[in-house]
Amino acid sequence: MKAETATSGQLEGLLGRLLHYGTLAASGLVALGLALSVASGPLGLGIAAAGIALFILLPALRVTVMLGFFLRAGDYRYSAIAALVLLIISFSFFIGTR
Amino acid sequence: MQIGLGLWLFAVALGTSMLGGVLGMASGIFIVPVLTMFGRIDMHTAVGASLVSVIACSCASAAPFLKGLTNVRLAILLETATTSGALCGVFLAGWIPTQYLFLLFALILLLSAQQMLARRKDKDDASSVQRLPLGMTLMYGAGLISALLGIGSGVLKIPALDTALRLPIKVSSATSNFMIGVTAAASAAAYFARGEIVTSVAAPVALGSVVGAALGARILINVPAQRLRLMFSVILVILAAQMLLAAFGINPFGPRS
Repeated sequence: MKAETATSGQLEGLLGRLLHYGTLAASGLVALGLALSVASGPLGLGIAAAGIALFILLPALRVTVMLGFFLRAGDYRYSAIAALVLLIISFSFFIGTR
Repeated sequence: MQIGLGLWLFAVALGTSMLGGVLGMASGIFIVPVLTMFGRIDMHTAVGASLVSVIACSCASAAPFLKGLTNVRLAILLETATTSGALCGVFLAGWIPTQYLFLLFALILLLSAQQMLARRKDKDDASSVQRLPLGMTLMYGAGLISALLGIGSGVLKIPALDTALRLPIKVSSATSNFMIGVTAAASAAAYFARGEIVTSVAAPVALGSVVGAALGARILINVPAQRLRLMFSVILVILAAQMLLAAFGINPFGPRS
């Protein structure tokens, strides 16, 4: 990453790390859960379900990081856009629970 | 859970994601047909599992593209359209009879086959983002289809980015892949909250997808790209024919024993 493109490259680096480690964590939970479910059943499936939830949460976390970055950079136009995307995802979850 | 079914699901996801990775397309378009046709798994369960797989693949492969190719600002702007479409799809998914979903799926498979054969060319004036309203409309449609069928809808996102917005091919592929995760998450969140994501199906599929995508990015296949594309178009057309038959209640593969 070049220093002169720091503001933009910083965000991309941050998102890249979030998605990389997030995928590792979620896959790890799913793998552990599946392995346990073969041995003990319900507990394992619960852990696997937590891994699935983390997978679904990752893109929302990615948008949250973008929102925070744009707010700190004083870019209110893109902050509003990121907030809108986050709102739509939350609304989707909300209508699912009803 | 049944170990045999779990292993089969893992293998299907692994295989399709590996091959999908070689061709630079998401595996969702293969997962739902295979699960419903060969696994006799209910359409909604298959769509839920496929959405998780689509998110997993998008997140797993995003990091390398973020170093210079992905246009994150354009992505978040277009995501307002894709997530709105996904939200509408979530509402519609409960209403539309399964046979219409099969019909729609067959159509998307044929469209993908056609797109796979047609060569993508960089436009001469691939400089700035143009025709944003057309791009946003296509993205809305992509989100809607993604929520209904459990696919990444790269088949609609890529033409939107290539043709309507006139981005260079590599940028549009990377940006499309980046957006797919958020689009699928918008509908997967509702499926998850409704309890329509079945862990015993979605977990092996998600894991297989991540492993498959990671392997697919490393393995070099010694088949000419053009022949591989032709082979895949044929597979897509066969799957489309099966989905068409299923839409009319005919399944050439008997119930799973």
